Amino acid sequence: MSGLNTLGRGVLFVLTMILGAGLFPAARVAFAHAVLLESRPSLNGTVAGPDVPIELRFNVRIDASRSRLTLILPSGDAQPLPIRKQNSAETIASEALGLQAGIYHLRWQVLASDGHITRGEILFTVTRA
Amino acid sequence: MARLLQIFGFLSVLFRGATLTFQSLAVGGIVFLIFVLRATSEESDSVKQACLRWIRRAAVALAAMQFSYVLANSLILMQSADLSLGQVSGANFVLAGSIGILSALAIVILVSMRRSRSGMILLLPAAAIIFSSVMTSHAMARLDYRLPLAAFTAIHQTATAMWLGGLPYLLITIRCAPSPEFARQVSARFSQLALISVGLLASAGFVLSYAYVGSLQAVYGTSYGAMVATKVILFGLLLFLGALNFQLVRRGPASSILGSLKRFGEAEIGIGITVILTAASLTSLPPAADLARDRVSRSEIFARMTPRPPRLASPAVRELPEDIYEAQKLAFDAGTLSAVSYVPGQAGTRPNTPAEKAWSEYNHHWAGILVVTIGLLAFLAQAGRISWARNWPVVFLGLAVFLFLRSDPEVWPLGPNGFWVTLADPEVLLHRLFVVLVIALAIFEWRVQTGRVASGNLRFIFPMLVAVAGALLLTHSHALGNIKEEVLAELSHIPLAILAVTAGWSRWLELRLPSENRTRNALARLWPLCILLIGVALLNYRET
Repeated sequence: MSGLNTLGRGVLFVLTMILGAGLFPAARVAFAHAVLLESRPSLNGTVAGPDVPIELRFNVRIDASRSRLTLILPSGDAQPLPIRKQNSAETIASEALGLQAGIYHLRWQVLASDGHITRGEILFTVTRA
Repeated sequence: MARLLQIFGFLSVLFRGATLTFQSLAVGGIVFLIFVLRATSEESDSVKQACLRWIRRAAVALAAMQFSYVLANSLILMQSADLSLGQVSGANFVLAGSIGILSALAIVILVSMRRSRSGMILLLPAAAIIFSSVMTSHAMARLDYRLPLAAFTAIHQTATAMWLGGLPYLLITIRCAPSPEFARQVSARFSQLALISVGLLASAGFVLSYAYVGSLQAVYGTSYGAMVATKVILFGLLLFLGALNFQLVRRGPASSILGSLKRFGEAEIGIGITVILTAASLTSLPPAADLARDRVSRSEIFARMTPRPPRLASPAVRELPEDIYEAQKLAFDAGTLSAVSYVPGQAGTRPNTPAEKAWSEYNHHWAGILVVTIGLLAFLAQAGRISWARNWPVVFLGLAVFLFLRSDPEVWPLGPNGFWVTLADPEVLLHRLFVVLVIALAIFEWRVQTGRVASGNLRFIFPMLVAVAGALLLTHSHALGNIKEEVLAELSHIPLAILAVTAGWSRWLELRLPSENRTRNALARLWPLCILLIGVALLNYRET
């Protein structure tokens, strides 16, 4: 680059940034890291209420103290679920108590040990016990 | 915060790419200083000082990137998980980032003090930087073989730093060397170090690929596998350039080879950064070995890639969803949005309608026709057969008009939304900027090709932009939960990226290599061929 003067380098830099920006929309697809391998309740599954044990197993080690589980009730209200002490590094668990029959969304967000944040949603149905 | 959330996924890859790049430059510079340049004579002091200056700059940039990454990740975590700063500060990524920042600052201080003549003390913070990087690698989150994988990751990253990170310092040495013979000797020593590094890098890379990809089917059937294959291909390109350099160093008088050595080095650095960007995007993907379901089969790839006549008829604008954001919301409500796993700031993906797919294919195919035309004319111009073929950059104007009309069908002039109103949408605004850029590119390169600009910096705009576009294309598509369509789209984009990187750097070398270097002739044919092939690949782009 010794042949490039300051102005030339500036022009190159600006054009490069514009091009980067031009490609930017394409770069807004999805980036995901932690993969949910297994869940209880399962995706689109049906479970008996009113108390529903919850367990999510991932492909990576999870930092449970910095992860979150939130249950969206049929009414649309959000109810945070306390996460239990981990039995194994790749799972997080909780229990939702006193659920009425209906459709629920379990929103999860996990911090993997390598620093990646991933979130997702599990839709499930609760029937009367 | 909302804006940060929106671009968080892409930002984290950029920060990771920049961190890996500056880490390689800082660590590679230190290794170069100690083992290649060595504490030689007083007359080489200016070379040493120049290297130290760049090591310091790389360390400052590394500290800044690490800080930016930790800050962005912490803010997102605090906002999305309702955590306090104190709670976030104990996270592994904060600890790793802090080690990286402190080590980089230690390098800045040690380099500024210049107490140690040999510089051996710098190896300590260099090792700590690699350690901090490994702490946020795939290895640390693995359930099995965590420590061996961390060790191989450390070897892989150190070897990358020694080779690719050391290259800029070789160029600095060649430029500042007190004599051509001094430069030749240093180049010969660097070649030996590069050989060792390549061996280590490839061996560790093989072990990591085996652990994270696991099977041949995962190589082509998953995004992670395809990106690893891309890295291997780019690594092959680097090896080819390295072999050319290796031969140069071992033959002929120093004065005649240094010019070529510098230019090949520039291309190696550029492709090396592309490889590092690819590696950064790999870290945001789940390893292929973890994705047993939804892999793309050979028959599915074959069915998608089998050549078919291009789509030259477009669906009508009225067949497209009038408001894509509304369509996304409707898909969410209907439960057809994929929301199994994603990063903060996104809401899952909506499958495209048949009309949208046809619209996209039509766009790609007409763009392909224009790019094939550009490639053919450039090839003829380079061969010197037809003089008017040198005007090939004018075809870029056609591409600009096409992009302007078709990239955002919901916007003026095709769509119902007015021109000024929709400029408030950042995506549309960026598309419009892209059109302006293509027009500028057409004008600049036309002036270069027709001899209106015989020398100067304008000549480098075209190759630089093509190479950068290729590099950015490799960071763009990352499958979520490994949806098959995403993998298939990625498989069609990877060849475009590799061809663009090859085209950009071969044109760069054609312009930069000394006239007596015969490789220039082959490179002068190579880049138009790559552009032609990009056009052919676009013509065969499919979404169905």
